Amino acid sequence: MDLAVKDIRRHLGKFVATIVGVGLLLTIVLVMNGIYQGNIADGVWLIENTATDLWVVERGRGGPFNESSRIPADAHKSVAATPGVAQASPFVAYAAQRELGGASQQFTIIGYDVFGGLGGPGRIVQGRAIRAAHYEMVADAKLGLALGERVQLGRNVHTVVGITREAVDSGGNPLVYLSLPDAQDVQYEQDNRAREAARAASLKKLERAGYTAEQAAKLLPLLAAATDNVNAVLVKLAPGADPAAVSRHVQDWLHFNVYTTAEERSLMLEGRLRRMSGVLGLFRSLLVVVSIVIIALIVYVLTIEKIKSIATLKLIGAPNRVIVRLIMEQSLALTVASFAFAYLLTGVVEPRFPRTLLFLPQETAATFGVMLAGGVVASLMAIWHALRTPPQLALGG
Amino acid sequence: MDRDGAPVLVVEGVAKTFGAGELAVHALKPATFSVAPGELAALLGPSGSGKSTLLLSISLILEPSAGRIAVNGQEVYRDGWTGIDVRRFRRENIGFIFQSHNLIPFLTAQENVALMLQLNGIGAREATRRAREILDYLEIGHRAGALPANLSGGEQQRVAIGRALANSPPLILADEPTAALDTDRGTKVMGLLRKIARERRSAVIAVTHDRRMIEGFDTVYYLEDGRLSRTSQGAAAAH
Ligand SMILES: Nc1ncnc2c1ncn2[C@@H]1O[C@H](COP(=O)(O)OP(=O)(O)OP(=O)(O)O)[C@@H](O)[C@H]1O
Ligand SMILES: [Mg+2]
Repeated sequence: MDLAVKDIRRHLGKFVATIVGVGLLLTIVLVMNGIYQGNIADGVWLIENTATDLWVVERGRGGPFNESSRIPADAHKSVAATPGVAQASPFVAYAAQRELGGASQQFTIIGYDVFGGLGGPGRIVQGRAIRAAHYEMVADAKLGLALGERVQLGRNVHTVVGITREAVDSGGNPLVYLSLPDAQDVQYEQDNRAREAARAASLKKLERAGYTAEQAAKLLPLLAAATDNVNAVLVKLAPGADPAAVSRHVQDWLHFNVYTTAEERSLMLEGRLRRMSGVLGLFRSLLVVVSIVIIALIVYVLTIEKIKSIATLKLIGAPNRVIVRLIMEQSLALTVASFAFAYLLTGVVEPRFPRTLLFLPQETAATFGVMLAGGVVASLMAIWHALRTPPQLALGG
Repeated sequence: MDRDGAPVLVVEGVAKTFGAGELAVHALKPATFSVAPGELAALLGPSGSGKSTLLLSISLILEPSAGRIAVNGQEVYRDGWTGIDVRRFRRENIGFIFQSHNLIPFLTAQENVALMLQLNGIGAREATRRAREILDYLEIGHRAGALPANLSGGEQQRVAIGRALANSPPLILADEPTAALDTDRGTKVMGLLRKIARERRSAVIAVTHDRRMIEGFDTVYYLEDGRLSRTSQGAAAAH
């Protein structure tokens, strides 16, 4: 006779409610795992999915993602001339918050050399890559734009020619790819009043310095903020070239900072992502601990509730293995059923979740293992308690 | 009444003291008696006289302080457990009926009885069949599928009796099986025990407060202040 099953059947409602409760808690644990890994995956997605060997950025800066970096637009020409470099392309990345598709959206604009340059969208799931020098764009599906839709960005209207999926910046926001000049345009755009104000301020400065109005007007273009900048130069190495040697050369001779993709990745992990990962990791650990404590308490309470029956079993001569099996089976049933419930629920939550969730199978398995171990330890405690219970307990009252 | 053959229970100088020194309670003073197969014995005595202590000692639930106990020819205690598997011995040789019924609340009447049989290695199907037979014998077969909570006190006690006799143990111990019942039902339960002793050849020791219940018993023991004495029925009634 399976006592555990009989007991569960008699208290089915209570047991199911317990499983749902614990299952919801475990769902939060699993989703937290997903958030934690998703945060890291999003954080390094752009770095890992940009086809480049080296990132050349402004000297002394940890750009282009963790710190702003500006280098002259023609810098890629001198980089390309470095021994060991097969190809060098300009690259613009600019975080924007604009009205898009009828809603205010946050996204990152990537500008690249659309005529064979590095840094373009990797996989386009719908439509095609940008082919024209101007006014075309590739957008991520997350933005909700349709193929052929016309979108105002800055002063110009762009046509959506391609759609990507899961192309995100380090904050999990979708990417928009534009041709390099279009991207620069959006990045450095100023409305007319701002331009007028800047112009007036510069004129005043020149006049105060003693120039005549005529001279000042002539000098003015030289003072205007440079807009022909890019944020980085992407480098493809020649076959067999030593990345360290090329990096050193570019750093020493061209006075830029150079990062390999691996270095850029760790800049991101140790920089922008570090605090968030720390917070998420802490919460994740706390949740795991809380879940284990709750599972342990429930298993223990399940046993204590039955302590009189257990004493009776001893009185009528039931061997210990009958009692151990009763406790163990219920504890395992609770843990396994709750986890299964959580696992299924996570699948329902995932597509509706506002952030990327990344579930690593080994992590899910480890979480299950930890919960199972918690349940087993709790049942061992409960068993220890049950086996210590004197059979006379059943006689009291 | 079957008085020949070896006694099913031998108790020699069994004593139980709780605590030590100033606080020691001599709950049971050295007691000696024996019970024959099929014998129906009553144990009378005021509250606190040591009746439960004696029964629990015999059934290997409580360890005595001294003496010797043999059940069904096997020595189980001689100034200490003799090293047998106590619980196994208990479930094979002793049926215990408690003051409160002590049924497993999440098992039906039939399952409670069948459990006892299965603990003794009888297959599930056969155990279920026999459990039903026993409940029928005790005239509560119609309540076989009910949970203890849905049974009346008398019905619960009958299920508990069914569990105690399921394995046809040579010795059945009943600690005030009628305490929770009214006189009518109590008399019925005692009648059942009598029937079991007569028909199934189990020796029965039943504790009771109520002298009216012991009609037809073979032997009557009286406990007072932990001192056991054997009395004729008439003498017991005079107390
Ligand atoms: N675990 C214990 N520790 C200390 N003293 C105990 C213990 N169990 C019983 N006693 C004492 O031993 C004596 C006999 O108790 P016992 O339970 O055997 O009496 P009883 O005859 O069954 O009484 P009742 O009719 O009330 O059930 C009592 O004085 C009781 O207080
Ligand atoms: Mg008592």
